[in-house]
Amino acid sequence: MADSNVWPRGYRCAVVLTVDYNDIHGILTQAPEVAGRDKTLSVWRYGSQRGVTRLLDLFKTLGVASSWCIPGIVAEENPEHIRAILADGHEIACAGYRHQNYDNLDLAAQRADVAKGCEALSALTGQRPTGFRLPAGNGAPGFIETLSDEGIRWSSSWRGDDLPFAHPTAPQVIELPLHYELEDEPYFAFNLSPAVPPAQSRIASYSHTLGNLQMDFAGFHRFGLCYVLRLHPEIIATPGRIGVLRELLEGIQRHDDVWIATAGDVAQWWADSSAQVSEDHPAAVYERHYRDYLK
Amino acid sequence: MSSSPQPTWPAPYKACLALAFDLDGPTGDAMLNGSIWRKPEYFGFGGYGPYRALPRLLDLLDAFALPTTFFVPAWVVENWPTQCQAIVERGHEVAYHGYKHESFYALNLQQQKDVMQRSREVFWKHLHIRAEGFRTPSGDWRAETPAMLVDAGVTYSSSMRGDDRPYLVRVPGHATPLVEIPGRWEMDDYASLAYTRAPDFPSGLDRTASYELTLDNWCREYDGAMDEGLCLTTLFHPKITGKPGRILLLEKLFEHMRQRDDVWFATCRDVAQWWLKEHHHG
Repeated sequence: MADSNVWPRGYRCAVVLTVDYNDIHGILTQAPEVAGRDKTLSVWRYGSQRGVTRLLDLFKTLGVASSWCIPGIVAEENPEHIRAILADGHEIACAGYRHQNYDNLDLAAQRADVAKGCEALSALTGQRPTGFRLPAGNGAPGFIETLSDEGIRWSSSWRGDDLPFAHPTAPQVIELPLHYELEDEPYFAFNLSPAVPPAQSRIASYSHTLGNLQMDFAGFHRFGLCYVLRLHPEIIATPGRIGVLRELLEGIQRHDDVWIATAGDVAQWWADSSAQVSEDHPAAVYERHYRDYLK
Repeated sequence: MSSSPQPTWPAPYKACLALAFDLDGPTGDAMLNGSIWRKPEYFGFGGYGPYRALPRLLDLLDAFALPTTFFVPAWVVENWPTQCQAIVERGHEVAYHGYKHESFYALNLQQQKDVMQRSREVFWKHLHIRAEGFRTPSGDWRAETPAMLVDAGVTYSSSMRGDDRPYLVRVPGHATPLVEIPGRWEMDDYASLAYTRAPDFPSGLDRTASYELTLDNWCREYDGAMDEGLCLTTLFHPKITGKPGRILLLEKLFEHMRQRDDVWFATCRDVAQWWLKEHHHG
């Protein structure tokens, strides 16, 4: 029995394919000392060099739309990829300008980064993005209202639900919650020095990772939820791993009751059709408490 | 500690499964040190447990008729009372797990008593129950903790790791011992499947295990403990294995468990009462 009967046209569940395209700017935030170290940076440049095109080819073959979360600086440095993503009908969302850890920024600096990122993307695409994903860290109190002021209508940075929800402080912003088990990075990201992950863990089994992702999808499908896959071109779009993604997506497409849509389309549907969050939603509980502790 | 020989179980059963979940929600270190109030994303990760995972899990437990113990920090009961009331209404047990998942090793005796008293009041106010069980959050407790627990009305603990059978803990000044139902890290879903960034878990962001191989591990632990006639409990968490994909893993595990008809499926409270009756002849 599905938990919900919330999707359009009789669809049982929604699948949103999101791609975080950060090029070298993600690792430069995480480990600033790698600046100028070409071997390490090339691990993350692989996305621009090879991964983006391979991923777009797969999406085109399968006929699926996706949503790309991109820092403005990455777009400025790779305009040909931005044009290709747009030309293939995908959505472009903002991940700030410089890929910063928002835990280190106050609200004014966060707002400035969102605005600059949106402007950089607009200049290249001709459209202001309506979606936003935090590159790293958390928004300060008031951040969701700030996103709303900047014209953002969907966010995909929180957890706490497996359906979209309207943010309690700014219900016009729809959240598409994340799930660690639906990300490629925890399974596959690797670098020797600096060590990624910090434990220098073995790379996970491809076939068992596919098995996990398939079982996760089976659960989201069974319960009628919103499956938000989070991919990175430099991680998933290698010659060996692209087949894992292809097999996963082909399996999803074999269901005729799955709505594969962009984050923007899912958020729009949710905004048009659904109520505000209940008082016991984690976002509402958080909102009730946090001020008491920030003194 | 009085060691027990080969356990016996209520006829006709030959072994015991005491299924248990820790419904921690967003409590724990990040709430205790206040950092969670700048991390809405991490709060959501925890809040998912009582808000979304628990109702689905209760349905699954109904389907397999599995009596279950939920160790619940009282802060979670205060903030998700309706969800926690459903645990009791559907025939399961709620037991103590701190107020905000405090490590009792880090508390002095008076602080431990305060946590127990506050939890007792919250459980009575929202759930109308007096809990009998306790699972120590975050691992350790202090030498004076067992007596403090008995003073607080606790009859059993499920906190230790060093046995695969329940045992009795003699408490100075008390005629009735405390029953311990030890757990095992092998049966903690955090050890295989939990993953968060900032705070990082595991601390080195090690890989998430294969679901298929994790199921195989858990089935082998179950088979081994049941074949030897022991008592197996679990340290599962709704926010980890109550996720949409992982609950299918639990479903497969429960299907495997229910294939046997020689296993007593019981709450920790029922196990403790049985053990006390069998082994304490005060």
